[in-house]
Amino acid sequence: MTLYDTTMPDDKPADGQPAPAGLKPWGETKVVGTRAPRIDAYERVSGAAIYTQDISLPGMLHAAILRCPHPHANVRRMDLSKAKNMPGVRAILTHESPSADLPWFFGDKGPMSKLFDPHCRYEGDEVAAVAADSPHRAWDALKAITVEYEELPFVSEIEEAMKEGAPPVHEGGNRGRVRTSERGDIAKGFAEADVVLEETYRTSCELHTPMETHASVAQWDGSRLTVWDSTQGVFDVQKTLAQYFGLPSSSVRVIGHYMGGGFGSKLELGKYTVITALLARDTALPVKICLSREETFLCVGNRPANIMQLKAGVKNDGTISALHLVNVGSGGAYPAGSGVGYLVQDLYLCRNVKVEETNVFINAGTARAMRAPGFPQCAWALEQMMDALASKIGMDPVEFRLKNVPAYSQTRNNTPFTTTGLKECLTEGARVFGWKEAKATIRREGTIRRGVGVAAGMWGWEGSTVSTAIVKLFADGSANLNIGASDIGTGTKTVMAMVVAEELGVPLERIQVENADTATTSFAPSSGGSQTVVANSPAVRKAAVEVRTRLLELAAEELKCTVADLSLNDGAIQTLTAPARTVPLHELQSLAQREMLVGVGHRDPHPQGKIPLPFAAQFAEVEVNTRTGETRIVKFVAAHDSGRMMNRLTFENQVFGGIAMGIGFGTSERRILDAGQTGKMVNANWHDYKIPTAVDVPPEHTCISVDPHDTECNNTGTKGLGEPATIPTAAAIANAIFDATGIRVTQAPVTPMQLLALLAGQEKGGRQ
Amino acid sequence: MIPKIAYARPHSLKEAVKELSAPGTIAHAGGTDLLGCLRDGIVTPEKVISLSGLSDLKGIARTGDGGLRIGALTTLAEVADDHVINEQFTALAEAAASAASPQLRNQGTLGGNLCQRPRCWYFRGEFHCRRKGGEICFAMNGRNEFHCIFGGQNCFIVHPSDSAPALVALEARVRIANSRGTRTIPLDSFFVDPAKDVTRENILRPGEIITEILLPAPVTQMRSSYRKARARGAWDFALSGVAIGLRFNGKRVDQARIVLSGVAPIPWRAVETEQALAGKILDGETVARAAESAVRSAEPLSDNAYKIHLTQGIVHESLMALRPE
Ligand SMILES: Cc1cc2nc3c(=O)[nH]c(=O)nc-3n(C[C@H](O)[C@H](O)[C@H](O)COP(=O)(O)OP(=O)(O)OC[C@H]3O[C@@H](n4cnc5c(N)ncnc54)[C@H](O)[C@@H]3O)c2cc1C
Repeated sequence: MTLYDTTMPDDKPADGQPAPAGLKPWGETKVVGTRAPRIDAYERVSGAAIYTQDISLPGMLHAAILRCPHPHANVRRMDLSKAKNMPGVRAILTHESPSADLPWFFGDKGPMSKLFDPHCRYEGDEVAAVAADSPHRAWDALKAITVEYEELPFVSEIEEAMKEGAPPVHEGGNRGRVRTSERGDIAKGFAEADVVLEETYRTSCELHTPMETHASVAQWDGSRLTVWDSTQGVFDVQKTLAQYFGLPSSSVRVIGHYMGGGFGSKLELGKYTVITALLARDTALPVKICLSREETFLCVGNRPANIMQLKAGVKNDGTISALHLVNVGSGGAYPAGSGVGYLVQDLYLCRNVKVEETNVFINAGTARAMRAPGFPQCAWALEQMMDALASKIGMDPVEFRLKNVPAYSQTRNNTPFTTTGLKECLTEGARVFGWKEAKATIRREGTIRRGVGVAAGMWGWEGSTVSTAIVKLFADGSANLNIGASDIGTGTKTVMAMVVAEELGVPLERIQVENADTATTSFAPSSGGSQTVVANSPAVRKAAVEVRTRLLELAAEELKCTVADLSLNDGAIQTLTAPARTVPLHELQSLAQREMLVGVGHRDPHPQGKIPLPFAAQFAEVEVNTRTGETRIVKFVAAHDSGRMMNRLTFENQVFGGIAMGIGFGTSERRILDAGQTGKMVNANWHDYKIPTAVDVPPEHTCISVDPHDTECNNTGTKGLGEPATIPTAAAIANAIFDATGIRVTQAPVTPMQLLALLAGQEKGGRQ
Repeated sequence: MIPKIAYARPHSLKEAVKELSAPGTIAHAGGTDLLGCLRDGIVTPEKVISLSGLSDLKGIARTGDGGLRIGALTTLAEVADDHVINEQFTALAEAAASAASPQLRNQGTLGGNLCQRPRCWYFRGEFHCRRKGGEICFAMNGRNEFHCIFGGQNCFIVHPSDSAPALVALEARVRIANSRGTRTIPLDSFFVDPAKDVTRENILRPGEIITEILLPAPVTQMRSSYRKARARGAWDFALSGVAIGLRFNGKRVDQARIVLSGVAPIPWRAVETEQALAGKILDGETVARAAESAVRSAEPLSDNAYKIHLTQGIVHESLMALRPE
């Protein structure tokens, strides 16, 4: 048994084939893996960086959108006369405007709605839009539009929506088709089990609320459209915009240089962008839209709420014999998906697994992918269940997980993982955390009690491989990197520049990154799904290596030696054989004559017959005040196998950020709808929707990179990080709370309000 | 967006109260609450009168009788950091320090903190509720986990201020100015019960402002504290809070003031508890009984019964912490 190869008790993995020959990941690195500050830190901090919201063009108009204030209503009549005549108002669009009569698609479900759908199915549905010469005038004009609504019966909660006779959000009812996947025989698995547990876990609807609200600026030049967009993927936006306007892709330019966070909510083209482009065309002027904070709570996506019934069977030796998950979730008023099943199927070895999932419509904003869509929810259920099973069979929760670490993906015909760092995440994490000592000595008595918890996770998608990078080396030895990827705040530009620096020996300060512009950069997939580093860094490396190869060839010719005699360090060519010479790049004649060397790198396909996926284990220590329900997370350790750590600083940013977000999901964040009364969201603001603050994240915070030296996943040895970082967090906290109090909190978030109610119940009615 | 408004910045109290006597005006101190109210359309004044030019209303000073005078425009940060307040009026320093966030405390004033509008999400949101002149209180049958468990009638807000209960516990008075002059009243009688008038939270009439907050001279053997429980660690209002002012006579409580926040439409005196403590030594049993008495008359709504346990818990914890060594 090698380090990353755990026992495969019963099943045989599919045959592994060797990875395609080519560049192998680095051994020792000089730049990659160091603590490199962001190359654009100064611009971002000083305010010099131009975000979409900062764009100002000559003659630019400002747009605002009138949104339905009801959860379910028909627009009967609209009176625009007052708004039309207000000073500075230049254009108004409604469902009656011929230019705005466009279908709207949700995934592959066909045109389920329209750009302005008079049948409004959620609070925040688009009703009209105004362009005016100032944002204030646009907002004032919205107030002057009178709309007569026919209010319709609505439904705000999953269970209500499933009832017989519930108001239908769409014709045909609220309940989607049950999607089932099954392997083995769960009945047999449960029969074999020594312990069978069943529990219903619930999670709340979480919102992305990125710092920069969604924004677009649109400008037409004849039939050519340019859009600045706060987006995670300029090419995705380009493609869909081209379709909407019937234009060739070449006529649509989308630019997204800087953007202030998305977490998935900026992975798709928004109605607001199409509306802005229409207004710009109608007025023949550039138009800008910046959504208000309230709008971002209502209509640009969320993580759906889920109700997950999980039944699990385990043998006394720790073998998981069966898992059965029945999940019902709601992605809101339109199909968006609320599936969560992946972890149950792939995180631990188990031969008998059944997952049944149903999406239900409710009259509320539609979900969008949110940082590891489905995974934190499933971890909330599965990882609490693992904890409960471990305690039932008297096994330590870390040991129990270690017993079930898979070396292959059970959802993909047992195809082996390139590496499974889960075991090391668990053991290293436990060691650094002091798990055994804490378990043995922690104080679980009295008013203020402590407890520790662990949870694990993995991410289930290896990412796209369609990415091309271009590296240009100038005669003065500085370099330009051209990539299509958006840097959504994660440090993409910095990490990619580090790859170039590694290969070309050019200092980071001398590398300029051009990115996220469909007209001037080459294709990259959207920055989401934890694929940005994985999809792009191998292409960047290949482009840099191409330049390097060409450069060394030229130098060898010029210096009259062989390429093997040369090395490239710190912006200079060095001869390895006598006579020892160091030639700075700007002194290299052959480079000066050519002015520039260009390298193009295309990313290679994934290894055949193997799956590269990241793993994680997180450990929490909490302190619960049993009189008040207040919980403090006092210590947190996160161990991540995301392959090679490219930059210690951005690694920490992702892990700490992911944990902070997981703490929100697990302890404070939830969309609250006025169910049964008005159906409106009551906490659509940053005070009532409670994102953790600096004092809510643990003071003692450690993150560990468990690098399994994956030589097969790709040429930079990287696996995804952004999403795994937030997957196990909430469950680790819930397990720690259980350890401290004996209360299994099945509903996320564990607010002090909820915990105190449970503690008070415990006092009266024994342990829950 | 903030609607069109006129703005004036008078430099004397006389001018200010004159300006504010005109209909459609509203006072602006630090603006941390007012600007949000304007943006959300909670208040719709035509003219905003800034108090920031009234330098007499700033600062903390000793009064002749050994008490303290705190100008209404003193910021919460100044109150929280003041040495004398920390030493002698601890509850107030703790309350000011627990409010909002550092930025808001640097900008928000003590006077503004007492006069801020409630945070009920129906009142602040697009709901035409009773407090805004509508017919119904949405919290009664709606989402009410942050609403009151005492004194709810017609309307179930909680008073949002942290400083108010601390000041009431410390027996503060407020000076109110209008065009005819000034008067001082106990802060305890400043707040308006929704049963009396559901549209306002305090007794101020148009043209009236608070100019200063007066604290009586501290007696020896006085101990006070403010304990706040909230849903997240900062930038959050109280789920429940308790301000306690205890005068001791040796080990015995001579006089107690227990004022709750986050649980009632006004700073809520737990009178029964105050009486239960008078003359007692703070042993475990007395404290437990006192904490229980603090919530005896609570009437929770559908989602906020936890506040009963929470309030009992923090009263218990605070009383234990205030026991003389
Ligand atoms: C996000 C957020 C979180 C907060 N959290 C808390 C909290 O946890 N605890 C807490 O106690 N507070 C909290 N606050 C409220 C904050 O403390 C108050 O907004 C602040 O103290 C008000 O002071 P100001 O000077 O800014 O008042 P302004 O906003 O200027 O005025 C507020 C109101 O008081 C009136 N007013 C102001 N001064 C006077 C005066 N001298 N006489 C008569 N009327 C006057 C104004 O007309 C206005 O109606 C929070 C506020 C925000 C925005």
